[in-house]
Amino acid sequence: MLGRGLKRKLSDYEENMAGLSSAFDSSRNLPYSLKRQLVLNMCLTKLQTYKMVVEPNLHRSVLIANTVRQIQEEMRQESSQQPVNVCPIENSLLMVSDDDMSSAISSILKDLDFMEDISPPTSLVPAGDDEPKSPESTCLKLEDDRQDLKGAECVFGSFEISNSTSYLKDLAIDDIFEDIDTSMYDSDFCVPPLMTPRPPSSATEETLKTFPSCNSSSANNIPICRTDLSELDHIMEILVGS
Amino acid sequence: MEEDIDTRKINNSFLRDHSYATEADIISTVEFNHTGELLATGDKGGRVVIFQREQESKNQPHRRGEYNVYSTFQSHEPEFDYLKSLEIEEKINKIRWLPQQNAAYFLLSTNDKTVKLWKVSERDKRPEGYNLKDEDGRLRDPSMITMLRVPVLRPMDLMVEATPRRVFANAHTYHINSISVNSDYETYMSADDLRINLWNFEITNQSFNIVDIKPANMEELTEVITAAEFHPHHCNTFVYSSSKGTIRLCDMRASALCDRHSKFFEEPEDPSNRSFFSEIISSISDVKFSHSGRYIMTRDYLTVKVWDLNMENRPIETYQVHDYLRSKLCSLYENDCIFDKFECVWNGSDSVIMTGSYNNFFRMFDRNTKRDVTLEASRENSKPRAILKPRKVCVGGKRRKDEISVDSLDFSKKILHTAWHPSENIIAVAATNNLYIFQDKVN
Repeated sequence: MLGRGLKRKLSDYEENMAGLSSAFDSSRNLPYSLKRQLVLNMCLTKLQTYKMVVEPNLHRSVLIANTVRQIQEEMRQESSQQPVNVCPIENSLLMVSDDDMSSAISSILKDLDFMEDISPPTSLVPAGDDEPKSPESTCLKLEDDRQDLKGAECVFGSFEISNSTSYLKDLAIDDIFEDIDTSMYDSDFCVPPLMTPRPPSSATEETLKTFPSCNSSSANNIPICRTDLSELDHIMEILVGS
Repeated sequence: MEEDIDTRKINNSFLRDHSYATEADIISTVEFNHTGELLATGDKGGRVVIFQREQESKNQPHRRGEYNVYSTFQSHEPEFDYLKSLEIEEKINKIRWLPQQNAAYFLLSTNDKTVKLWKVSERDKRPEGYNLKDEDGRLRDPSMITMLRVPVLRPMDLMVEATPRRVFANAHTYHINSISVNSDYETYMSADDLRINLWNFEITNQSFNIVDIKPANMEELTEVITAAEFHPHHCNTFVYSSSKGTIRLCDMRASALCDRHSKFFEEPEDPSNRSFFSEIISSISDVKFSHSGRYIMTRDYLTVKVWDLNMENRPIETYQVHDYLRSKLCSLYENDCIFDKFECVWNGSDSVIMTGSYNNFFRMFDRNTKRDVTLEASRENSKPRAILKPRKVCVGGKRRKDEISVDSLDFSKKILHTAWHPSENIIAVAATNNLYIFQDKVN
C-alpha cells in the first residue's frame, strides 16, 4: 500500500512493463493517448537505462530518441490546438466512452494484478536531479517523498505535458550522446532541445497549471473510480495524469 | 520453394554439451568464400572456425561433399580502452573473404573497432636434413659436421595455420557494423554508425574517410549508418543503408568525401500501417547487392525488399517475413527484440532470397514463382538426410496440427545470420550456437 516506503524491485517494474505492453498489443480499445503515454514511458525508461551503461548503443538510442521526439511533437500539436482553458487530457478522456475506458482499465489492472505493493512505481526521473550523470541518482529507485496522491503529483510527473518544456532538461537525455561521443576533438555535447522550449505565454501557463486539478477532477469523472479503492485511484492517476 | 531439401547437421567442433548455450559460442557471422569450398563462422568469443568441403569421392557419388572443420583460430581478444574506460568486445561482427589468388586463403574479420586480415595456409611438407640443426632444432656441434647435405621436403600431416597479416586499427570511434571487399581486390571499406572508411590492404596506418554523417552537434543526430557494401563489379560504387529505412548509392569518382549521394532509395510510408514504432521497424539491418549488380536487397524488421538500382522511389518487390508480428510490436519493443538485426542473402542466380526469423525459423522467397517457404533449423526436427518440413505460423482462429501459434514462438531463438553457397543450393544457417548446413537433394 502507499506510504509503506518499500522500494520496488526493478524486476517488478519490468514485469509491469511487460504486462502493459501486451495490454497495448492486445487491447483494441485502449485510448490513443494512453497508448502514446505508454510508449513514451517505455522510451524514457530505456533511455534512462542506457544512461547507466558505460557505452550505450548509439543505433538504439537514436531510434528511441526519434520516437520520443515524434510523440512530443504530436502532444505539443495537440495541446496547441486545444482551446486555452480546457484541459486536453480531460477532453480526450470524456470523448472516450465509459465502456472503452473500463475495459482498458480492467485489462491494465489484470496485468498489474500481481503488483502487491501499490506504492507508486519507480519514478523514472527523480525530482531535482542535480547530477544527472551520477549512477546513484539516475537508477530506478522509489521516490519516497512522492507519495502525494491528490493528483498534484503524478507518479510519472516528469512525463506530464505540463512539465514537458523543462523535464527533458531534467531528464538529461543528452547525456546518452555525451557518453558516446568522447573523442577529444569533438565538440562538447550540450543539452539537446528534444523539444523546443516554447516562449512562455500566460495562456499556456494557465493550461499547464490546470493539469493537477484536471487529474483529480477527471479521476472523479470516471465512473469506475471509487475512493475506497485507492489502488484503482492511484492507477487512474498514472493513466490519466500523464 | 517446393523442392526437397536434404538436411545435414554439422556441429561445430567447439560446441560443448548442447544443453548449454555458452555466451562465447554464439555464432555472430557466417560467410562462404567465393568458390563455396570454405565456410567461415565467427562467434561472440572472437573465434573464427573455417569449414572445408570434402572433395567428392568417386566411391560414394551419392554423398555430396560435406563440410568439416578446416581451421580454428582466435581472431580477436577482448580489449580495454583505458582512455574511455570501456571494454571492447571481441565478438566478430563480420567476416569477408578475399578471392583466392594463390595457394593461401585470405579473409577479413572485424570486431567493433579493429579489422584484421588473416592468411590461412596449408602446410603438408616439412624440410628435413638441416646442416647446422638436428631434427629437434638444437644446434649441432660444428666439429661433428663432416658433410654438406641439401635439406629435403618430406610429407607431414596436414597442418592449417592462420596468421594475422594486417591489423587495421584505430580508425573507428563508433562500432563497426560492416566490411566490404572492393572488386578491385586492392581496397575495402569498413563502416561504423557514423562513418565509412576506405582502406588499402597494404596500408594499415591510414585510411580514407569517404562518408561522414556525424552532425556538428550530436544533439541533431537522427540517423545512423546500419550497413554498407561495394558494388560487385563497379569498384567506384557502393551503397549504405540507414536507420531511417533509406539507402544511398555513392560514386567515389564524384568527390573524395561521398557525403552527397548519387542515388537515394526510399519508399514512401504507408499511412495505413503507421504506428509509434514505424520508424524503428523501418531501420534497415542489412543491405546486399545481387550477384548481377542490378539489384539491392534490404532487410528491415518485418520485410525484405528488392530494389532496382534504376528506380529510387520504391522497391520492385516486397516480401513479408513475419507480418504476424505487426500486432505485437509493443511487446517486442519492450523486450528489445524489435532491435534485432536480421541479415538477408541472395542465392547464386539471384532467383531466391533468404532471411531469418524467430523460433529458429528462416524464410526463402522465390522471386520468379513468388512462392515462399518457412523452414526450421532445430535438432529435434531434423535428422541427417531428412527432408526439411515446411513450417507454418498460425495467426488467429483455429490452429491446425503442426502449426505454431504466434504466442508460442520462442523469441530467444532467432536466426540472424545465414549464408548461401555462391553457385549451388547449399545454405548455412546459424541458430544461436549451432550451425546448420542444408543441401539440396540432387540425384
